[in-house]
Amino acid sequence: MNNQYYDYIIFALKSFKSRKLRTFLTMLGIFVGIAAVVSLVSLGQGLQKAITEQFESLGANKLMITPKGGFYGMGSSVVLDKDDLKVVKHARGIRNAGGFVSKVASVEFGDERKYTWVSGLPQDDSKEIISDISSFKIAEGRDLKKGDDYRVLAGSLIAKGDFFDKKVRVGDKIKVENKKFEIVGILEPIGNPQDDSSFIATLDSAVNLFGGKEKYATIMAAVVEGEEPSKVAESLKRTLRRHRGVDEGEEDFSIQTFEEVLDSFSSIFLIVQSVLIGIAGISLLVGGIGIMNTMYTSVFQRTNEIGTMKAIGARNSDILKIFLIESGFLGMVGGAVGILIGVIIGKAVEFGAAQSGLDIFKASFPWYLILGSLAFSFIVGSVAGVFPALQASKLKPIEALRYE
Amino acid sequence: MIFDYFILAFRSLVGRSVRTWLTMIGIFIGITAVVALISLGSGLQTSINKEFESMGKNRIMITPGGGQFGPHGGAISVGKMTEDDLNVVKKTKGVDIAVAFLSRSSKVKFKDELKFLDVWGFATGADAREMTKKSDFLELNNGRQLRSGDRHKVVIGDSIAYDTFERDLRVRDKLIIEGEEFKIIGIQKPSTLAGNAVYIPLETAREVYDVSEEISGMFVLVKEYEAPSEVAGRIKKELRRHRGLDKGEEDFSVTTAEQTIQQLNTILSIVTIFLSGIAAISLIVGGIGIMNTMYTTVLERTREIGIMKSIGATNNNILLLFLIESGVLGFAGGIVGIVLGFVISKIGEYIAVTMGVEFFQSSFSVFLIVGSLLFSFVVGAVSGLLPARQASQLTPVEAFRK
Repeated sequence: MNNQYYDYIIFALKSFKSRKLRTFLTMLGIFVGIAAVVSLVSLGQGLQKAITEQFESLGANKLMITPKGGFYGMGSSVVLDKDDLKVVKHARGIRNAGGFVSKVASVEFGDERKYTWVSGLPQDDSKEIISDISSFKIAEGRDLKKGDDYRVLAGSLIAKGDFFDKKVRVGDKIKVENKKFEIVGILEPIGNPQDDSSFIATLDSAVNLFGGKEKYATIMAAVVEGEEPSKVAESLKRTLRRHRGVDEGEEDFSIQTFEEVLDSFSSIFLIVQSVLIGIAGISLLVGGIGIMNTMYTSVFQRTNEIGTMKAIGARNSDILKIFLIESGFLGMVGGAVGILIGVIIGKAVEFGAAQSGLDIFKASFPWYLILGSLAFSFIVGSVAGVFPALQASKLKPIEALRYE
Repeated sequence: MIFDYFILAFRSLVGRSVRTWLTMIGIFIGITAVVALISLGSGLQTSINKEFESMGKNRIMITPGGGQFGPHGGAISVGKMTEDDLNVVKKTKGVDIAVAFLSRSSKVKFKDELKFLDVWGFATGADAREMTKKSDFLELNNGRQLRSGDRHKVVIGDSIAYDTFERDLRVRDKLIIEGEEFKIIGIQKPSTLAGNAVYIPLETAREVYDVSEEISGMFVLVKEYEAPSEVAGRIKKELRRHRGLDKGEEDFSVTTAEQTIQQLNTILSIVTIFLSGIAAISLIVGGIGIMNTMYTTVLERTREIGIMKSIGATNNNILLLFLIESGVLGFAGGIVGIVLGFVISKIGEYIAVTMGVEFFQSSFSVFLIVGSLLFSFVVGAVSGLLPARQASQLTPVEAFRK
């Protein structure tokens, strides 16, 4: 039995060889489609993977408390202040919590004045919660510490000279909202241009800059090890409600676990990716129709041959298999080349993105993408071959032989 | 003469109906996708443009925050604006009316339902009334506008009245905004741009939010016969001087309605082009299908070509014959594709409208239809080029021997 299939495959290959041009063109149709799908999926997967990993390694047991309304809580009439932070810190199941502030401020270096995000991070023991999530790492100089008023850390693009005309170095002086600050450290690239061209100061000096009142953009809380973050979030919601004197369902703040953030992100991502893949998949459909066409032609041209095979004892099912395997092969070989090209395109885009500062863009090629596209292209080929193969298998030997 | 070519092409295509059909399907799927995407994309664009145009191009918005932060500038930036800035703008040449606003995202309660809505505090003086009068999109369906002396009164947008809370809001209903009671005195007519807002008197807003001088921005109406972009430039200059800033260092942004439309159009165009580009990949694949079919045809008609050549057909005749055949293949696929694309985008439009995006309309410009027809013909002809050349260069003797 195995031997028989081997023969079918050999047969298919021989048939391709004698119709090189047509085979090549048919496969070209498939591999253009597969290349498009593979490169889109790989870039999408890569992006999602990078973001998920970042979230999971850093935010798994953390909660995010923001004022409701406004633009991510900014510009909202609701204020989360020191009292709220204290309540969060002492709530059941919370290990520690810290709040930070973040605004767009004017920044001057030399003769240049620009506007960018300036954040104020607490320097007490809650510091690690926030710097973990934001994945800040010091590349040069030193980190901020308690009492470091009027000292800042600068994002990597600022140090690279992509923000101001001149490169900013450790020890340089800048002005934030007309107050002098000294740069004590440079951050490693975080991956997106907005974060990488922002400044980080201590909470105290940032609060001073922003008008003196401590109004947190976000409070980050770490959950005690072993506690379920979603359950802690529920009980924290009750506690904060009581503290702020609001009824259930009328919360003026929202508490999100990172799982929720990740879920909502993933579902948006899934929609965008499905649309793109769906549109790219249209070309696979067209490629499949090309295979069908080639197979019809092939059946047509080999009518005599089919007659001969039938006359010497080939059954309908044998003929069917011969043509199905031939068209499946057309699809799969096209798929293999397509995957290769897709990988190259994915890597090229990754390289291009990295050049423009989007380090987070990594093309990813999980095994299921490769195997899946191979299987899919084989299926596209076989399905496209079904009608022509059926037609071939049903030919009557006498008619087939009479055909010229 | 040319007509004969078309007849010949047509006969040859009909004679191989399965193959012709399949080849055309390849093209029309691609054209369908591209036509549907472009018509939906440009439809969205024209609908949005219309909305903006109804607002008038003679408007300018000024907000704190340098450059790229747009309407959220006021909320997220340290730099603030005050009534002083308003006075500077008012005195700028070319400015007809300038009205300040103070906006906050706030707790708004109706009966037992609490929502977070954008609340705008607007001045209620003569200027503001004048501006309201000149703004069609601020017209009311019910009740009256805010006027000076109003205190805890509120005018709401159409979608706040009917789509935000579980129960519909009516004139004389009470809303609780940040804990204070407000009486609804007016409900606007439906508008996509302004339907989502809650308007209260500026003075009341100052008390509710406890700010004295600060404003979140201003709306400017440009005098007739003045170019909005020039007036915007003048406002920038005056505000810079007033705030003591150098050029390029503005801590505020001045956006004309025209700029906003342009930005939106650019984004929409990019998305449409990107999606159509991906869809166009299938057209390449369809073109390859045509090429394949044409090679097969040439192969099958070698003898015919030999006969034609021996009775005097030139290479050019043969080339043209096959080029037209493949072009017709593409063209016919294009026609079917355009019809299907039209149907699909009408369905898309229907779905969008039933889902509440009422202003949405798919658009079919002559440009799109003629363009895609032409394009499908070109795809066909280009794909046929190599096979046709091969056919035209056959020598009669060889052609017969095959």
